[in-house]
Amino acid sequence: MGGKMGLLFDATLCIGCGACYEACKERNGLPRTVAHFLEDRLSDRTYTVVKKRGGRFVRQLCMHCEVPTCVSVCPVGAFEKTAAGPVIYHEARCIGCRYCMLACPFGIPKYEWGKILPRVRKCDLCADRVAAGRPTACAEVCPTGATKFGDRQALIEEARARLRAHPQKYVPRIYGLEEVGGTSVLLLSDVPFERLGYRTDLRPEPLPLLTWQVLQKIPNFVVVGSVLLGGIWWITNRRREVRLREREEQEARRLSASESQEGP
Amino acid sequence: MARWSLRRPSFWQIVFVIILGAGLYSTVIRFTGGLGASTALSDAFPWGLWVGFDVLCGVALAAGGFTLSAVVYIFNIERFRPIIRPTILTAFLGYVLVLVALLFDLGRPYRIWHPLVMWNPRSVMFEVAWCVMLYTTVLALEFSPMVFERLRLERPLRILHALTVPLVILGVILSTLHQSSLGSLYLIVPEKLHPLWYSPLLPVFFFISAIALGCAMTIFESFVSARAFRKRLEIDLLADLGKVSVVALAVYLVLKIQDLAGRGVLHRALEPTYEGRMFLAEMLLGVIGPILLLSLRRIRMDHFGLFVSAVLIVLGFIMNRLNVSITGMEASSGVSYFPSWTELSVTLMIVALGFALFGVAAKYLPVFPEMARLPASAPTEPPAVAALRRPWIGTTPLVLLLGGLFFVGAMGSAYSGLRYRERALAAAPPHEEEEPEIAEGLERFEIPPDVTFPQGEASPGPVTFRHASHLNWERPDCTSCHHEPFRILKGFGSTAPSSSRDWHDERHCGRCHDGRTSFSVKEDCTACHRP
Repeated sequence: MGGKMGLLFDATLCIGCGACYEACKERNGLPRTVAHFLEDRLSDRTYTVVKKRGGRFVRQLCMHCEVPTCVSVCPVGAFEKTAAGPVIYHEARCIGCRYCMLACPFGIPKYEWGKILPRVRKCDLCADRVAAGRPTACAEVCPTGATKFGDRQALIEEARARLRAHPQKYVPRIYGLEEVGGTSVLLLSDVPFERLGYRTDLRPEPLPLLTWQVLQKIPNFVVVGSVLLGGIWWITNRRREVRLREREEQEARRLSASESQEGP
Repeated sequence: MARWSLRRPSFWQIVFVIILGAGLYSTVIRFTGGLGASTALSDAFPWGLWVGFDVLCGVALAAGGFTLSAVVYIFNIERFRPIIRPTILTAFLGYVLVLVALLFDLGRPYRIWHPLVMWNPRSVMFEVAWCVMLYTTVLALEFSPMVFERLRLERPLRILHALTVPLVILGVILSTLHQSSLGSLYLIVPEKLHPLWYSPLLPVFFFISAIALGCAMTIFESFVSARAFRKRLEIDLLADLGKVSVVALAVYLVLKIQDLAGRGVLHRALEPTYEGRMFLAEMLLGVIGPILLLSLRRIRMDHFGLFVSAVLIVLGFIMNRLNVSITGMEASSGVSYFPSWTELSVTLMIVALGFALFGVAAKYLPVFPEMARLPASAPTEPPAVAALRRPWIGTTPLVLLLGGLFFVGAMGSAYSGLRYRERALAAAPPHEEEEPEIAEGLERFEIPPDVTFPQGEASPGPVTFRHASHLNWERPDCTSCHHEPFRILKGFGSTAPSSSRDWHDERHCGRCHDGRTSFSVKEDCTACHRP
C-alpha cells in the first residue's frame, strides 16, 4: 500500500542556503529568474521559494492538500490528487479558466501570462521521483534536514515527537495537520505561523465541502422544480381551458335559448 | 434617403465604429500577445473585468427572459405577452456575448468544448459551463420562431410551438441554476472574499438580484427601442415589472441585512473603509434608491421616473457584481486591480455589438409583433379636477431629486472609499525583515561529500573539491555555485566530474578563482591539483 507521502519542513532548522530552490529549478528545467534566490517569488518559472519571514527562513511551495481545492474546482478535471500524495496537473485538459488560482487557499497555482498558449504551473511534489521511490529534489539536497521527505503519517509522528521533546521551543502545533482538511506538506516553527506568512485563519474542513453542499442539491432541484413548474402550468392551463369551455357553453346555451324562443 | 444616411452617419454610428475599431485592435493584441500583454491580470489577481462584468453581468441579462417566459407560459398571465420577445432576444444575445467574452478570457479558448467530454461534477465551473451550453441552446430555440416566422417556415414553427412549455420549464430551471451558480463560484473563497460579500447565501443573492435586474433591463430596453423604433410604450406592463423589481429588491435587502447581522459583520458596512463605502454605494444605488422610487405609484407610472429607476437598478447590479469579483477580492490578494485599456475596449466592443445585434434583429425580425400604431387617447378630466390632483411637486423634478440624491450619494460613497484605499496604501509600512536565526540549523548542517575530478591528459594531478573549504560558515549559500553548470542533483545532466572538460574557465572554477575573489586558476597548480 505505502501510505501517502509528504514533506515536513521545520523552520527552526532552515539556514536559507537555497539548495532546495536550486534543486527544484534543476529538476523542473526552470530558467534563472532573479539575481539572488531570496528575492524570488512563486511564479510560472519558480515553484518553491525561501523567504526571510519573522526572523526565520521559511519555504513556500504547493501544500498538496488531502482534499485539494484545485482538484474540486477544475471544470475539466485537470488536477488530480494521486494516491502517492502529489497533486498533479494534466495540461492537455486545461481550458485556462484560472478558477484554481482564484480558489487555492494558499495562492499556489501560477499562470504563464506571457505565453499565447499558457499553462498553470506549480510544484508537483516530484511525482515521477516519488513514484520511483525517491525523495523530492528539495528534500534530497537539504543539508540540515529542515525539509524532510517521508510517509505523511510517519512525518506526523516525527513532528509530534519533536514537539514533545522541545515543548518550550516550538509553537505547539503542526501546520498542515488540519488546515482545509490537512495537507501533505507539514510545517513546524518556533515563531507564530502567521509571521512566517502562513494563513492561520483557515478552517479545518476541506473547502470543496462548501460548494459540494450546494452542488449536490442540483438533481433534486431539477426534478422537483420541473414537476412544480409543470404542475403550475397544468393548473393555470386547465383553468384557462375551463374558462373557455364555460364561455362556449354559455354561448351555446344562449344560442339554443334564443332559437327555442324563435322556434314555434 | 439611404444614400443620405450613408454620407452622413449618425453620432451613434460614429461612436460604434470607434468602439469597434479599438476593440478589434485589442483583440489582435489579446490573441497575438497573450493574456499578460492584454490584461492587468496577474497571479495574485487572476479574474478581472472580463469575468466580473462580461460574464457575471452578461448572464444576468437573460434573467428578464426566464422571468417573463415563466410568467406568460407557465403562470398564463397573458398580459405580458407583448414584451416577451424582446426579453428573449436580450437573453439570447446576452448568452452569445458571454460566449464571446469567454473566448477572450480563457487561456486556451479553443478548448472551450472540453467540459462536454471531461467531467468534474464537483466543480461549480463545470455546472456553469453546462448551464451556458444548454441554456444557450434553449434560448436559441426560443428565439428561432422569430426567424422562422420571418422566413415563413411553417413546419419548424409548429414543432417549436408544441415544444414551448417543456422548453420554458427547462429554461427556467437552467437559468435558476446558472444565475445562482455564478454566486456559488465564490463559495470556495471564504477567506479571500471580504465578509460584506462572502456569504453562504451567495447563490441566493445572485439569483434574486438577477430577477430584479431582468425586470429593470426589460424596462430599460423597452424605453430605448420605443425611441429607436418609434413604438408605443406599454407603460402599464412596465410599471408592473417595476413592482416585481421592488419585491425582488426588498426580499434581497431584508435577506442581506439578516445575513450580515447573523454573521456579525453588519457594522462593517458603516466602517470608513474602501470595502465599506463601496458596499454602501452599491446598496444605495441599486437597492434602497430604486425601492423608494418605484414604491411611489406616481414615479412608477411616469415614463421618466420608471426609466431612471431601471437605470439605477442596472448600475447598482453591475456595481454589485464588480464588488464581488474585484473590490471584495483585492485586500486578500495584496494587489489592487484596475482593468487595462485593452480589457476595457474589448468589453465596450462586446456591449456595442450587443446593442447593434439587438437593433438589427429588431429591424428585420418580428420582435415586436403586436405593436399598436398610436397610443389610445386617454379620457380627459375637467381642468378643475386635474388641478386638485396636481401634487405639490411635479413628477419629473421629484424623480430628478430622489434619483439624483441616491446617485450622488452612491458616487460620493464610492469616491470616499477610493480615498480610504489610497490612504491605506500610503500608510502601509515599508517591508523590512530581520536577519533570520540559523544557529540551530548550522549545528545540524551535514557537509556534502567531497568530489574528486579525475586526472586529465595534460593535468598535473587529480583535484578533490572540498565543500568544507568552499563554504561561508556564517551564512552558507549553495546557490553561489550551484547554478548551472554545477548541478546540485545527483545523476542529472552532465555534472559528473570528468577529465575531458576544462573546468578552469570563468563559468566553472574560474568564476571565483580569478585572482580577486580567490587565488587565480592561473597561479600555483598544486594548490588544487595534488598528485
